[in-house]
Amino acid sequence: MSKAICKGLRSPIRSLINLRRAKTISTSLVHNETILVKNNEEFVNKVMNNDKPVIVNFHAEWCEPCKILTPKLKELIEPLDNLDLAIVDVEDNAELVHTFEVKAVPAVIAVKNGLIVDKFIGLVDADMITNLIDRMSGKKKPS
Amino acid sequence: MCCSRKTSVTPLGGEDGTFDYDLAVIGGGSGGLACAKEAVNHGARVAVLDYVTPSPQGTKWGLGGTCVNVGCIPKKLMHQAALLGESIHEAISYGWEVPSPDAIKINWSALTEAVQNHIKSVNWVTRVDLRDKKIEYINGLGEFKDPHTLVATLKNGTKRELTARNIVIAVGGRPHYPDIPGALEYCISSDDIFSLGHPPGKTLVVGAGYIGLECAGFLNSLGFSATVLVRSVPLRGFDQQMALMVTNEMEERGVAFHHKCIPLSVEKLESGQLKARWQNTETGEQAEDVFDTVLMATGRYALTKALNLPAAGVTAVTGSGKIAAQTEQTDVAHVYAVGDVLEGRPELTPVAIHAGRLLARRLFADGLQHMDYENVATTVFTPLEYGCVGLSEEAALDRYGEESIEVYHAFYKPTEFFIPQRNIRNCYLKAVAERGGAQRVLGLHFVGPVAGEVIQGFAAAIKCGLTMEQLMNTVGIHPTVAEEFTRLNITKRSGKDPNPASCCS
Repeated sequence: MSKAICKGLRSPIRSLINLRRAKTISTSLVHNETILVKNNEEFVNKVMNNDKPVIVNFHAEWCEPCKILTPKLKELIEPLDNLDLAIVDVEDNAELVHTFEVKAVPAVIAVKNGLIVDKFIGLVDADMITNLIDRMSGKKKPS
Repeated sequence: MCCSRKTSVTPLGGEDGTFDYDLAVIGGGSGGLACAKEAVNHGARVAVLDYVTPSPQGTKWGLGGTCVNVGCIPKKLMHQAALLGESIHEAISYGWEVPSPDAIKINWSALTEAVQNHIKSVNWVTRVDLRDKKIEYINGLGEFKDPHTLVATLKNGTKRELTARNIVIAVGGRPHYPDIPGALEYCISSDDIFSLGHPPGKTLVVGAGYIGLECAGFLNSLGFSATVLVRSVPLRGFDQQMALMVTNEMEERGVAFHHKCIPLSVEKLESGQLKARWQNTETGEQAEDVFDTVLMATGRYALTKALNLPAAGVTAVTGSGKIAAQTEQTDVAHVYAVGDVLEGRPELTPVAIHAGRLLARRLFADGLQHMDYENVATTVFTPLEYGCVGLSEEAALDRYGEESIEVYHAFYKPTEFFIPQRNIRNCYLKAVAERGGAQRVLGLHFVGPVAGEVIQGFAAAIKCGLTMEQLMNTVGIHPTVAEEFTRLNITKRSGKDPNPASCCS
């Protein structure tokens, strides 16, 4: 499943990276704070160029399920030191929403080495979330 | 030809020139968006201008127009909230154990938050949709510079010019405020009620059109005392017998009506409350009372003034400011209008959407179909709803004459009303038909629960030329309220009692 997703979404990622052709900085955050994405530049630097895999959560304040999922993701990911969480407020990041074809919130995209390796839409159950986190943080073998 | 003015500054598209867009739509509401989306489906390059000038009380909203933000959608949600409140109490009679029914009350801020969250989600989906369809969205107030050029003024004051081969005016309207002291300063309108930052409390609603009645209706049901000032008659333009059923029901539920009264002034007291004075135009008597909120629902006006229509050469504007365009085309060939801004057309979202789509097809897909504005069904969402399609009894009498009309009518008792002993006095329906032959149905009218759901299917039947013979030969679904249409058999002319004896027979 992840191959198909990678295929379909590789080109938007390329176009996103092309938005910022300047020298890319590889970052790995010292403290594992949640990344609050305010613009494309921040996204490219802190998510696409992150050494660690990143779970990207598309969030909206007016969305009830988001108010359940986002805190849950924070709770599960913040203690981990080999996985980051980035939150993209859909109202502030119209281009990212368009690039990743986000049509509904909440939407979660898993990014590893600048590539999308997984995606889910809507408030999924706790098992699916922990499953994804385990796979991304290397606890489990990818399916 | 439209481009008769010479300009030396910006080159116009001209005969074969390039315009920035094939279509520019002024107004991102029901009509404008439907037209824009249909146009791109047929390959047009489209731009949509949308801008919300804040209400006198400072309320603004996002993309989507009146319906989504301050009309149909929040109205229906609040109506639903009101109905649910009633249901909780009715449930008790059906055996539900509801602890402390007297303590059940509405949390106004929880209600408005839920409603506004939904609206914001619709605003967002609308924007995403426009982006996906590659429709350029300009958040600016549009006006004409010349027949093919628009200027959009953005919030920060900057101006953006664009040219278009075709322009559609879909600016809709806004609430009208009476010219009395205190109206603009202290009163709210439907623009503000759905996001009001504090519970409305004891409310005076000025105006008894569907907006005033719907607001007074749900406010009363939510527990906020409501009083309505009626200038002439309630629901003017609608069947008056049905309008009376609607207001009777509201009165029986505690809404106070002051008939033939016009507002004189609204004054703010030290307590923060509002003192409203009004006058009975028949007796000359004046009266006043203190309210927490005064809601003006005295009609809506079309937003044509800000468009600078003279710059486009459009002169087909009526005294009320609306645009006269029988086939949505104005007196300037490439300038069109859809939606509430049109003169003499039903001010309804589905009408604007349908007309907008058909227009786009005529412009970009060799479409030939024109909008049929006849027999458009509608519903007033007062606590007991009123749904109708076709002619009112008055309009039918006027058009055909009493001798050529037959009116079938009946009171009915919804099955679900018995157990909680709900008031059935105003549950009434009628069919207005031609008297001769198979008796073609000219209008259907229904006051009762879920009136909108009941009437919708019949609108399609009327489009097919429904006759009383066919209606009477239709077998009803039992037990429903809609089946009452299939049971109609007593005419007004016969003088027989239209009250039901019993169910089922």
